[in-house]
Amino acid sequence: MAVTAVEVIYRGIFQKSLSRNICRTIVLAARKEGKIGTAFGRYGDSPERNGIPAKYFAVIADEDEELQETLAQYEPKSVDVSIVVDDTLCKGVESWAWYGLQPINELTKEGGTLLVTSMLSSDDLMEDIHVSDVPYNLAIVKGAKSFSGLWVYKDDHTDVRILGALAKVCPQLLKLETYIDTIKEETDDDLKLQSTARSYDRVSVTPVEPGQGNPEEPFSFVKPGWEEMQNAIVVKGIEYGTGFRGGEEGFQATRNEYFKKYSTRTMRPVINFETCTKCTLCWIQCPDSCFDVTPEELYDADMEACCGCGVCEDVCPVPDCITMVNEEQFNDNASQYDHWKSDRDGYMKWLEEKIAVAKVEIGDAGRSHGFHQWGGYEQQIAITGVQDDD
Amino acid sequence: MTTTNVLPMIKGVHDTPLEEYFTSGHRTCQGCESALVMKLMVKAAGPRTIVLGSTGCMYVANTTYYSTPWVVPWMHTQLGSSGSAATGTAAGLKALMSKGKIKEEPINVIAFCGDGGGADMGLSAISGALSHQGYNLLILMYDNESYANTDIQISGSSPWGANTTFTPPGKVHRIMNQRWKKNMAPMMAVGHPGVRYVATGCASYAVDMMNKVRKALNIGGPTFIHTYDPCPKGWDFDPMYSHEVGMLAVETGIWVQYEIEEGVLTLNGPSRMLAEGRRKRKPVFEFLKRQGRFAHFTDEDVDYFQSRIDEMWEKWWLPGIIPIAKEGGDLTMGPREVL
Amino acid sequence: MTTDVQSSLEREELISGSEAIAIACALADVDVITAYPIRPYDTVMQYVSKLVANGEMKCEYIVAESEHSQFEIIKHASAVGARVFSGSSGVGWFYAFEALAVTCGLRLPMVAMVGNRALDDPGAFGCEHNDALAVRDLGWMLNWVDTAQEALDTAFMAWRVAEDSRVFLPCAISTDGAFLTHSQQIVKIPDKSLVDEFLPPYDRGDLVLHPDNPITIAPQVNEDWLMEIRRQTDEGMRNARGVILEAHADLKRIFGRGGDNPFIEEYMCDDAEIVLVGMGTLSLPLRVTVRRLREQGRKVGFVRIKWFRPFPTQDLQETLSRFKAVGVIDRDYSLGAPNYAGVVYNEVRSALYDLPTRIPIAGFIAGLGGREVTIPMTIEMFDQVQKAADTGKVDEPLQWIGVRN
Repeated sequence: MAVTAVEVIYRGIFQKSLSRNICRTIVLAARKEGKIGTAFGRYGDSPERNGIPAKYFAVIADEDEELQETLAQYEPKSVDVSIVVDDTLCKGVESWAWYGLQPINELTKEGGTLLVTSMLSSDDLMEDIHVSDVPYNLAIVKGAKSFSGLWVYKDDHTDVRILGALAKVCPQLLKLETYIDTIKEETDDDLKLQSTARSYDRVSVTPVEPGQGNPEEPFSFVKPGWEEMQNAIVVKGIEYGTGFRGGEEGFQATRNEYFKKYSTRTMRPVINFETCTKCTLCWIQCPDSCFDVTPEELYDADMEACCGCGVCEDVCPVPDCITMVNEEQFNDNASQYDHWKSDRDGYMKWLEEKIAVAKVEIGDAGRSHGFHQWGGYEQQIAITGVQDDD
Repeated sequence: MTTTNVLPMIKGVHDTPLEEYFTSGHRTCQGCESALVMKLMVKAAGPRTIVLGSTGCMYVANTTYYSTPWVVPWMHTQLGSSGSAATGTAAGLKALMSKGKIKEEPINVIAFCGDGGGADMGLSAISGALSHQGYNLLILMYDNESYANTDIQISGSSPWGANTTFTPPGKVHRIMNQRWKKNMAPMMAVGHPGVRYVATGCASYAVDMMNKVRKALNIGGPTFIHTYDPCPKGWDFDPMYSHEVGMLAVETGIWVQYEIEEGVLTLNGPSRMLAEGRRKRKPVFEFLKRQGRFAHFTDEDVDYFQSRIDEMWEKWWLPGIIPIAKEGGDLTMGPREVL
Repeated sequence: MTTDVQSSLEREELISGSEAIAIACALADVDVITAYPIRPYDTVMQYVSKLVANGEMKCEYIVAESEHSQFEIIKHASAVGARVFSGSSGVGWFYAFEALAVTCGLRLPMVAMVGNRALDDPGAFGCEHNDALAVRDLGWMLNWVDTAQEALDTAFMAWRVAEDSRVFLPCAISTDGAFLTHSQQIVKIPDKSLVDEFLPPYDRGDLVLHPDNPITIAPQVNEDWLMEIRRQTDEGMRNARGVILEAHADLKRIFGRGGDNPFIEEYMCDDAEIVLVGMGTLSLPLRVTVRRLREQGRKVGFVRIKWFRPFPTQDLQETLSRFKAVGVIDRDYSLGAPNYAGVVYNEVRSALYDLPTRIPIAGFIAGLGGREVTIPMTIEMFDQVQKAADTGKVDEPLQWIGVRN
């Protein structure tokens, strides 16, 4: 008698097919070992939005009645393995279907595993992962995040590498051979089978003690009762904005206090205020109105509002004036403008480092979202090779 | 008729108002061009504005409980009700003002709808609104070429051949959507003689779009704007390229930028240059190849798409606008194939 | 108690129920009215348009392009603080169903007239109550009137109660097609000053949609919120009962009309042993029948339900518990419902379930499609109820009366 639950926490749309593949394969493989299972996306997360965090679950049981225990609730209250297919999600999850920030390991049970695809070390990841009050393991499948679009799937083996690692970190669920047999039925690509096995051998596992990790108190939200809620489905609008930092000049929009975009981003813009020509394009073209206008008409991206789409970088006419950098490179949401004003040299040095990191990522096309152009993914995979840690 | 605001034309990006009336809290996709349309729309309209939003992405993802991004007063309306919502709001204000029950002042009334709510279900109500000339209102249809909120199903405004969750390319039928996109703005202009302003717009040309919103609100009576919004989710491209994809649609001649003011037609920006032959249309492939929704296209499909765009510029009586052949001309009216 | 002062402040006219409600719109200074043609309710809009054309009423009068738009337009006009009125019949009311449903959660005090009409198919103009009854679960207040005078007075009540901030719910006044929409009666029309005394201006307060009050109305919610919102709407309907009692007291004081109980009307029930219960103009044949049977010494009476939502549960419990047996007449159907009976039957029956003694209840479906409910039919119903009273049980819980075999 045993029930094993696995969740995949992923980026809406970009990793929808990836997470579905993972969970479906787990359930199909379980049949081969005579077990029964179910795979489902979190209903509240659909319809998914680009980049907004979402969840998929796979639950496996020995007996049908055991499975019903799980089906009797919306979603598992705790899981044996939390699979995270984008390491920037380690900062926490603010799904569009719920309020407040959920630590990435919220559902990971005692002795369970948090399985992350990342190029970073466990120490780097632990800076982001919130403290848990139970011991668990942090496992890393080395690799860049795999993003693709709604219609075209980037088959870079990330799905099978996750499954190979899962066999290692959660042996009570299914055997590696079972995963491989199941994958074989869906593809005749031997390379994929090799990726699966190699990942089993190479996944790194680090134990995490209670109290270890990011001590920050994730921002939460207490829902009022029907007598406190205003009648007629009315909520207050956003307050008028003010001058920059409340002053006379420039402009600073008031932001919604309940939904922040902290966990929506996989990248954030870093801005060179020295080379900015004040052309205004980043500010005008930003769909999230995230740029505050400074007194000297520079544009400071407010990280409460930026969802990391990258439009600002694309419309900026000045080379390297706006550069999108992997969100993992940042540990706070502080104002870059304030940093620059208080310490120009320090800021420019900081900026150079960030841009250097971004250049490397662009080099291996690791930051690409979605479908570029016909054959785009094949081109990318040709550059990077299939996801692998060789 | 109550008076209208007099909003000055915006002379270039540096003349754009700093104030934002659509800020953060919305949960739309990364790179959502429709969210940008909302921002520019109210930025142009200003604080003395009421916005009515019909069901769609700009409702469900854009305005959730306690997570409103709206600074100006905003109210939901039903999928097919953008026309009625605008009429009811304008009529209510007019009655209360004319009876002295509230202060007499110009208040902008804008109702938006997606292409599903506008070009499909809401067509009747929009037509009704555009026929009541006594009310000052703007109906803005943001067109992301599918029922994007419900997970990308085909609408009457989806392009030929596009992959949607209701028109997936299959083993037997590669092209499930054989319909050609509805020609919405001209339908509204031609069908409603009393309407003093109809325009098309695209947020990639932000100042042009904001000025069109201002012209529509200034001129009075019911007005209509149709914007073309690249959808990174449903069209499947990297969110950072929303702006580029919008420009490509114009430069390939697939989307035409124009306004019809007091019955006078003016093509704007690149569209004007294409019409005057001062610029050459880019091949539609430049536009199609950027998007996963066309990834199943064969060369023949691309050629067919190109031929229909060529025809629209070379054979239409009013190039890019009115699909009626010049005398002696002939147009492709039927579908390429019938499923 | 109606004094000369009042009589000097009212005039008499020979008008239909529809015309009475049109005049009520003028006296209530309604701001926005939307019309779309469908028989028989459309008569009210024919009178409204005349009043507007003759300058006897100042309002935004809009002929919409469909019933859906008719109700969406006044819904949004109501949100900016305008007093509104519209109406429909039969399938027209159903065409507007989406707008009718959303209005309740929005807590917008729309007032509508339903000229009760059978639902297509087949097309039929006659009276059935299924159109208005279709919204009974959604948060609409529903009432049925039986005279043109009551139509006029109830219209004032409707705005007064719907626009009370403790309620803020839409209200539909049902007038039986033909009987009230097309036949004329002598009606006392109060002076505007009396109406103003009874009916305060509509004040939307901090829920009003206006640039001076920047709010967001009806944002999308998930499962975290909807139960609370439904509970709020439920509270509005619960509050409606007390507000109706207040308004009814003022109606009696100012207009000198309205009867003893706003929710139900008893006719010759004081010493009755059995009664029939019904709504709307079923009262017309029943009053006559009751008098004739009483001439024969039979202790019968008639109870007319005036407000169906909120449902007068305690009033019916107190009244009907006095009788040996009860019959309920439905001018509607609820196919497949308990006992295959109509809507009113099952609502009355469930209201009486908690009584210490179980009263036999007979159900009758009659007058569908506007078919006349004749005096012999009502006598037959009384005979059935009498049998139930004598035997203490009902042989056939539900019978169709006046249907050809």
